[in-house]
Amino acid sequence: MVDVEPRLEDVEKIRKELEVKLGNIARRIEYVSGAGLIVEVPKDSIRDTVKVVHDELDAYLRVIAGVDERPIKGVFSSYYVFGLDNIGLNIIITTYMDSENPSISTIADIAPSADWYELEMYDLLGIRVENRQLYRFVLPEDWPEGLYPLRKDVAHNIRPPPTPAEKGVITGPRIPVGPYHPALHEPEYFELYVEGERVVDVRYNGFHVHRGIEKLGESRFTYQQVPFLAERICGICGFVHSVCYTQAVENAAKIEVPERAEFIRSIILEVERLHSHLLWVGVACHLLGYDAGFMHAWRIREKTMVLAELLTGSRKTYGINLIGGVRKDINRDKIDTVLKTIKWVEDEFRKLVEVITSVPQVVKRASGTGILPRHEARRYSVVGPVARASGLNRDVRKDYPYAAYKYVSFKVPVYTEGDNLARLLVRVDEIFESINIIRQLLDQLPSGSIMAEDIEIPEGKIGVSSVEAPRGEDIHLVITGKGRPYRWRVRAPTYQNIPALKVMLKDAPLADAPLTIASIDPCFSCTDRVIVVDVSTRKRKIISLRKLVKLEGNGCMI
Amino acid sequence: MSKQRNELLEALKALKKSVWVFHLNTGSCNACDIEILDVLTPYFDVERFGIKLVASPRHADLVLLTGPITRKTLPKVVNTLRAVPRPRLVLAIGACAVGGGIWYDSYSVIGGVEALKKVLEENGVEIDKLVYVPGCPARPEAIIYGVAVLLGLVKPKVKAEVIEAK
Amino acid sequence: MYDMSLLKPLKLIRIARRAGVVTVRYPYQPPLITDEFRGRIVIDAKKCIGCGACVNVCPSNALTLIDDGDKRILNYFIGRCIYCGRCADVCPVNAITISKEFELATDKIENLNSRVVHQKSTCCSCGEERVATEKMISYVVSRVPVSEAYAHMGSNCRKRRFVEGLMLGRGMLHVETEK
Repeated sequence: MVDVEPRLEDVEKIRKELEVKLGNIARRIEYVSGAGLIVEVPKDSIRDTVKVVHDELDAYLRVIAGVDERPIKGVFSSYYVFGLDNIGLNIIITTYMDSENPSISTIADIAPSADWYELEMYDLLGIRVENRQLYRFVLPEDWPEGLYPLRKDVAHNIRPPPTPAEKGVITGPRIPVGPYHPALHEPEYFELYVEGERVVDVRYNGFHVHRGIEKLGESRFTYQQVPFLAERICGICGFVHSVCYTQAVENAAKIEVPERAEFIRSIILEVERLHSHLLWVGVACHLLGYDAGFMHAWRIREKTMVLAELLTGSRKTYGINLIGGVRKDINRDKIDTVLKTIKWVEDEFRKLVEVITSVPQVVKRASGTGILPRHEARRYSVVGPVARASGLNRDVRKDYPYAAYKYVSFKVPVYTEGDNLARLLVRVDEIFESINIIRQLLDQLPSGSIMAEDIEIPEGKIGVSSVEAPRGEDIHLVITGKGRPYRWRVRAPTYQNIPALKVMLKDAPLADAPLTIASIDPCFSCTDRVIVVDVSTRKRKIISLRKLVKLEGNGCMI
Repeated sequence: MSKQRNELLEALKALKKSVWVFHLNTGSCNACDIEILDVLTPYFDVERFGIKLVASPRHADLVLLTGPITRKTLPKVVNTLRAVPRPRLVLAIGACAVGGGIWYDSYSVIGGVEALKKVLEENGVEIDKLVYVPGCPARPEAIIYGVAVLLGLVKPKVKAEVIEAK
Repeated sequence: MYDMSLLKPLKLIRIARRAGVVTVRYPYQPPLITDEFRGRIVIDAKKCIGCGACVNVCPSNALTLIDDGDKRILNYFIGRCIYCGRCADVCPVNAITISKEFELATDKIENLNSRVVHQKSTCCSCGEERVATEKMISYVVSRVPVSEAYAHMGSNCRKRRFVEGLMLGRGMLHVETEK
């Protein structure tokens, strides 16, 4: 079935409220099931509308998607998706811009988390956002001006000539794709501006992993091929993206998914959460210098990888999800193996956590550092364990229920301190909750088929779906087209969390930076290297993270 | 030229064990990268062969390359490979590095090591031995097998086949 | 005296002793593979009919159809395969099986190509080249009640024959019958 819908009385209440407040501005206010309450306004009133929705109704900003609708309607359009967590309703503000010189005013001063979305709209679609600074964000520096890849008249496989190796701009010991033991890095780096030992500002220079996935999903791939593409958006939480995409299309096309398939999807999602959190615990221990914790956490994690292979056929990038259901079933033997494995994981991990949280260096370094206060967390609309560690009770599994989560009961761990230790404890608690959820799901597994028959996907429908990834809320927006999506917008959780780093790293000692950056669990566990800019002496120094880790003295020897 | 090549091949023979590897991620989704990391952990424990990860390409014998090489990382990849001392050995891990992966024709992606070889030639960077390890993601055992093929310890098993359909 | 909580981290030694040695000493011991593992695919050339269903469904275009003279070649490039198994799902004759092979490393990239060569069929009456392969036609003939001659005809010739048959039936056409 489609995602659980909010109650109609609540929807009506909000609709009436919006009609009162926006009656003379909004062209239409309509509820579309599977997406939300669509509010269409002219582009000049976007700021007033956002003020009403974000400030007065207290909705969170979830995602902004720009769409090139010139082939269909002759305009550019953009969709601002806000969410009301307490009733599980999306409010989607849409507006149109003319096709020659599309432009719209900024809303980043009202909702600070809109900053990156607006930059991306400009970079990839050419929609000018006024009253703010625009700079190259996603595309590389050597990309030609005026060539916007997401527009419909640009092919997906164009190759403007690449640049040869960098010449002379910044010389010196620059090894930009530096590794970092244990080399779990991705080529992006943070620029930390320091004064002595204190961090004063941080800038993120990233998107080195931009592969043009949204464009590919709209051009070369068909509906049933996109789940495989979506799974490879991230190698650690890939199944989340695959489920989110299929759910968005199923919402848009009103496809009924058999219950057994929903249960299987939920079970695999929880197995993925286990492996991801165990991975993070290991990496966090390593960053604190406690390598023994790293090795033991990954020893426990290996069993979950073998379990995933038994259930799906591959250790990672499972490839069992399709629109309408799943490809592989679970039989009695597999259920027994699952129960045995998660019992083993639970026992082992409980012992390990007892040890980790009693190591004095670990506790001292993690508590009181990287604090994100509650009101800042609300302003930046952070998601996932970062939000839950700062006192915000946000969990997509409870607020916008999907798949089989409406049949299980579980706790959402919320801590209020907002420091690194709180984020670690949230994830530890979530591991035990996941194990609990898997047991409940296996208990209630219904019989039946695992794939829907006769799937038909009409054109021009909009669907929004969100899933709780191990890192936070992942949200996909799909506008259906002929044989493939017309527009597919992906917003991974880390995208929403990184801007909050500015607050967490401000006035913090430099040596706390690696752990703080890793504590938001960037979907590529971390910065390979940091560039440290000493503001007072105006000198740039490149330090490898290994050295930064060692700056705190030797880690625990055990 | 051939004298230098012979010297390099001799140096390669000495590298039978204890290679020091450098991990280079050129824009991959990270699945292959965590499998590389997994190879260090207790279940597979590649340190029993003496292999260890180093922090700088200048100390490396072997470069583990993952990812389809995005446009943004291309100049940096060239610089990094240039910093590796001869003999330069590269292990291309995963479907992305070997053939460009599922997004081989995207505007933002160069397309795997085959296309990278051309760019390296233009910049005067030579690779002495290149081994391909397919997989999506490549299993830790497949990576160990790939390292063994590169060091000449085993012969590769897979062969090109052309069969007539009758 | 001593703060006993400082000794808690030492419990790790007991955990480590209990866990023991978990290393799977590949290649001296078998790898950690389960029954469900998806390795490379194997195409059975005897069964394959060259229809191209697998080519349509492959997300990464690892399976491609190449035309070379009067041959049609199905090329499987192991290097770009994502091991999803969709090709095995959609093959109408079950010619594709998923093996458990993962030791696919090689230093020559040409070795990662595996080809099945098909003979293209030509129209029996005008000789024009057709989209189908010979094996596809045999497959169709064995399942659908059409004659071999009809199946071997190209679409243009079939249309012509159909119209001629209609005209003959209405007396609009004179045909020289063979004596």
